[in-house]
Amino acid sequence: MAYSETFKDHIANPRRAGRLDDANAGAEQTNPVCGDRLQLSLRISEGRIEAARFLAYGCAPTLACGSVLAEMIEGMSCAEAASLTRKEILEALGGLPSRKQHAAALAIEVLRTALKDASSSLGPRASRPQ
Amino acid sequence: MTTVRRVYLDHSATTPVDPRVVEAMLPYLTEKLGNPSSVHFFGQQARAGVDAARREVARLIGARQNEVVFLSGATEANNLAVRGLCESAEPHGRHLITSAIEHSSLRGVCAALEHRGWSITRLPVYEDGIVRVDDVRAALRSDTVMVSIMMANNEIGTLQPVAEIGALVREERARGHRHLWYHTDAVQAAGRMPIDVESIGCDLLSLSAHKMYGPKGIGALYARRGVRLTPQIVGGHQERERRAGTEAVPAIVAFGAAARLAVAEMNGRNQQARRLRDRFEAEVTAKIPDIILNGDREHRLSHISNISFRFIEGEGLLINLDMQGVAVSTGSACSSGTLEPSPVIRALGHDEEKARGAIRFSFGKDNCDEDVDYVIEVLARAVANLRHLSPLTREAQATI
Repeated sequence: MAYSETFKDHIANPRRAGRLDDANAGAEQTNPVCGDRLQLSLRISEGRIEAARFLAYGCAPTLACGSVLAEMIEGMSCAEAASLTRKEILEALGGLPSRKQHAAALAIEVLRTALKDASSSLGPRASRPQ
Repeated sequence: MTTVRRVYLDHSATTPVDPRVVEAMLPYLTEKLGNPSSVHFFGQQARAGVDAARREVARLIGARQNEVVFLSGATEANNLAVRGLCESAEPHGRHLITSAIEHSSLRGVCAALEHRGWSITRLPVYEDGIVRVDDVRAALRSDTVMVSIMMANNEIGTLQPVAEIGALVREERARGHRHLWYHTDAVQAAGRMPIDVESIGCDLLSLSAHKMYGPKGIGALYARRGVRLTPQIVGGHQERERRAGTEAVPAIVAFGAAARLAVAEMNGRNQQARRLRDRFEAEVTAKIPDIILNGDREHRLSHISNISFRFIEGEGLLINLDMQGVAVSTGSACSSGTLEPSPVIRALGHDEEKARGAIRFSFGKDNCDEDVDYVIEVLARAVANLRHLSPLTREAQATI
């Protein structure tokens, strides 16, 4: 399958690229085989993701998954974000060829690691909605 | 709806069919309908078209017309050359010398031979992307039956010392190494630089029509008179028993027309491509930092520019440019979580990151200065955008 228009739009106009200066949680994941890297920085307040930014290096799907992930999770509660799946990332991008779907897995992995980081640095209560 | 300007800079992948070529082939799709093997009027009319095309393709490379075998394209030409020769020559040895930067079709055939127990020596190309004749000499063994080195590389355009290698092969034969043959893949070079099989001293040479403004699906193999090839497609007498199957007459006629135009217009096309390419490279160098121009600057085809953009990956850049209407290509591929960075750029000694950031821009006869202006503008913006996303950019800045 070819890349969707939504996918291409994320590549040409990435959402929420960068790193938050006032992040209180974050993570980086690397695909050990292909070397793709995805970084996520989050500002979490009262169990809600107030802001999300990403940085990515690698093939186009990794960049697009970083962009769509950061866009999707901003405003979500940590619990909602934690239940986000690879399938939802793929749907939001209008699908990915099967050989490229590992990028969505990398995005979910970095999100869960960042939420774990939030839970340990802010405490389980702070990352839970009040 | 806004219309995106389209700039095609992927002429090494394929070229548009020249309208004069289309005109030449059209009658062979309609009224000149015969099968060249038929003895009646229609068959002989088609035969005449094929013969005339064979003369034009032979003229393009300084060969005799009966040394030209038409087939489906360069991949088949490389398969017939290497597999066909090696199967015939197997009793004399099972060693082949090639380079690390051959086209994937040649790499594939060599891998298949290796799987059957052949020994393959893949010569390095160093930072300039050029094979050394001394390395070929050093790699020769008593059981070497073939040397296959491309004339010009498809990703970086570097010209290989094919005539010098041909002289070495002749010298080696004169010393008694009789069962040694020499093949060159001239797909990128043909139509873009003068080729003379006698001066090169090759026994086999691969060609493709669609790299020189002909149609896809047609190519040719030059096979020097007396070189024995085991046919890879059997079941017919066509092409002097070297390739069975009814000839693709319209495509062959078109190839002939494309070859004739390439000979007639070669100098003008080259000058135009070189001027645009050199201007493009000068402007990219001036406007975009942290780039590497890949391959030798002098010994290369006039129309190819291969550039590694540091800190970013080629595919993202390719999609960005495509969205702005600019068509280019990248030699790397990421699939199922495994990465295959361009083997050509890796062979230059560059690390994975530089290989992943390599993009090929290949100019053609219909490109113009406005195309270069537009590409520079969108390229600079796309590179800046992607670098803004890349953790590598920030890490590099932090170490300054």
